Amino acid sequence: MTPAIITNNLTKRFGDFTAVNGINFEAKRGEIFGFLGPNGSGKTTTIRMMLGLLAPSAGDVQALGISVKGNQAELQQRVGYMSQRFSLYNDLTVQQNLQFYGAAYGLNNTDLKSRIQDALVMAGLEGRENAKTKDLSGGWRQRLALSAAILHRPELIFLDEPTAGVDPISRRAFWDLLYQLVADGVSVFVTTHYMDEAEHCHRLAFIQRGNIIARGTPAEIKKNMMQGQVLEIASSDAVNTIKILRAAESLDLQEVELYGSLVHVVAQNVEKKKKDIQKLLKKEKIQIEDMAVIEASLEDVFIASMK
Amino acid sequence: MLKRILALTKKEFIHLRNDWWLPAFMLFGGVLELMAVGWATARPISNLPLMVLDHDRSAASRSLVISLENTETFTLEAMVDDFQTIEDALERGQISAAIIIPPDYAEEMAASDGNPTLSMILNGAESVPATAALRAAEGVIASLNEKLIIKRLKLSPDEFSGFAPRLRVWFNEALSEALYTTPAEMGLMLEFTTLLFAALAFSRERELGTLEQLLVMPFSSLEIIIGKAIPVIVIAFTDFVLMLSMVHFVFKVPIRGSLPLLFILAFGYLLVELGKGMVLSVISKSQMQAFLLVLLFGMTDFMFTGYAAPVESMPQALQFVANIVPAHHWLEILRGILLKGAGMDVLWPHVAALAVLGTFIMTFSLRFVRKALD
Ligand SMILES: Nc1ncnc2c1ncn2[C@@H]1O[C@H](COP(=O)(O)OP(=O)(O)OP(=O)(O)O)[C@@H](O)[C@H]1O
Ligand SMILES: [Mg+2]
Repeated sequence: MTPAIITNNLTKRFGDFTAVNGINFEAKRGEIFGFLGPNGSGKTTTIRMMLGLLAPSAGDVQALGISVKGNQAELQQRVGYMSQRFSLYNDLTVQQNLQFYGAAYGLNNTDLKSRIQDALVMAGLEGRENAKTKDLSGGWRQRLALSAAILHRPELIFLDEPTAGVDPISRRAFWDLLYQLVADGVSVFVTTHYMDEAEHCHRLAFIQRGNIIARGTPAEIKKNMMQGQVLEIASSDAVNTIKILRAAESLDLQEVELYGSLVHVVAQNVEKKKKDIQKLLKKEKIQIEDMAVIEASLEDVFIASMK
Repeated sequence: MLKRILALTKKEFIHLRNDWWLPAFMLFGGVLELMAVGWATARPISNLPLMVLDHDRSAASRSLVISLENTETFTLEAMVDDFQTIEDALERGQISAAIIIPPDYAEEMAASDGNPTLSMILNGAESVPATAALRAAEGVIASLNEKLIIKRLKLSPDEFSGFAPRLRVWFNEALSEALYTTPAEMGLMLEFTTLLFAALAFSRERELGTLEQLLVMPFSSLEIIIGKAIPVIVIAFTDFVLMLSMVHFVFKVPIRGSLPLLFILAFGYLLVELGKGMVLSVISKSQMQAFLLVLLFGMTDFMFTGYAAPVESMPQALQFVANIVPAHHWLEILRGILLKGAGMDVLWPHVAALAVLGTFIMTFSLRFVRKALD
């Protein structure tokens, strides 16, 4: 089967500002492809080009094996989209929104009825059909938006920061739905800037100022991008630990970052530097409760690679 | 196709029902405005405050003042003793007119070769009352003159016959302002309602962020345009019918021409403004921007409708511009049908102009909006 998405040197310029700079990647079918990047890095611009809402300045993009350019009418039926800004009509009720989506995609009445029922179950909104969408809390709203976006059973869906501003439990619930979709064979393209969500993707691309700076599975990215290992330190005074270690140039540490109440140190041959660190902290009267070399998280990788 | 259009139209009507205050505001705002304008201009101008400086203080001068009062155009504000008072009152806007009767007024009236004079000062800053005051004063003086001539020719009034013009005002016998202003007001309200709702059609969704979602749905641009146009047409037309009833039944503005013709032409005009509004809508990033553009366009059109100032008295260049403003032709048609009972035989130049302009504007709008949506 052809890949879900292929971009080829996809570029968008606004005046002399390049928002997306010749990016290339491939998203496989039946996978969650994560598109990671900080604010303003070009995620939404890329999605808009993939949907045909915005014409690329150069390069091209294929979705479901067909070129987006010139085939929008066909793709519209086979692709779903949940925009970054709210994709439902706030003043409509849950039922009215779903009905509008269904009718827009030309579903007949019997299909529409059963699919609306499915959507309500999926979003956990049974019995709240007549609630105004604006009265739903963030998590429910996003689940409803997702149910609406797949009402026409697309093969590929684009989700632009679907969980921004949603609490962790609702985010978890949202991702459970995504896994269900993938299990049903749907391909998912999702942008996010949550690192924990990135870990849940099958494949990732990391975009920064319009350039893809890393791509692959989460494990590959960690392996390829991380120079050095991560040492996790639990100490009696994390804040001073950071101060001291950052000042210690002789140790040649790449990164010293606060990680919750712990400190993460990134360095080459970190195992060998454990003793020196211990010594240094002892001299400053900081007690080390625990210290171990751990596997790097994506967050470690990205903080390291952004420098 | 039909199903998708209906789905969109239904959604638009739900928005309108939820935001009911906006259509309500346009409907009742229009009607209220009409009432205000209608009542303010319904009656002829009367009771303009008048000051008199009577240097003569004779029976003749008193009779002159009484004649002026009897016209009901004036009420006597005060008899004063010096010119300064009049000057002050005029400057303060306290009075609309003043007359100054010279000391020899009665004497000159009585003498067989006398040459009576009289000064009148009008507050030209308010041109409408000033014109009415002048007209009334001229009437009084003309009849005084007639009496003077009869006396000097030593005739009895029955024997005298002179020039007796019979003046008649057609279409608006009472010269009532309401007959002139309310149709114009109503015509403009139709323009504003259509423009405003059309302008909100896309700018609203763009502002809320839902436009993108709409564009990735399998709607063709034509389906979107039609789906969004239907509610605007329904609202604007309802508004027009309500205002027409109001103008007809409350202000007694006649409908002398054909009502079906009026409705057909109103509908045609509405489509032209709809096209304009949609163009404004797709170029606006927010509802506020769309609203301001509507205001700008509405005001410009207003200038050329002949409502504020007659188009005939504008400079040549502006008169030419008026011809390419659809609202100008629409108001001519509206007044023509309502007040003059005009039919196509008379109105055809305006209808033709509207048709040409309309075809041009709508073709352009359709192209422009479709391009913007694709
Ligand atoms: N229509 C436009 N005209 C000019 N510049 C634009 C336009 N759209 C986006 N940009 C710029 O392109 C850059 C990328 O924007 P984009 O919205 O794609 O970022 P993003 O990764 O989605 O960010 P966020 O996480 O904030 O949603 C930004 O600097 C933005 O200001
Ligand atoms: Mg974005």
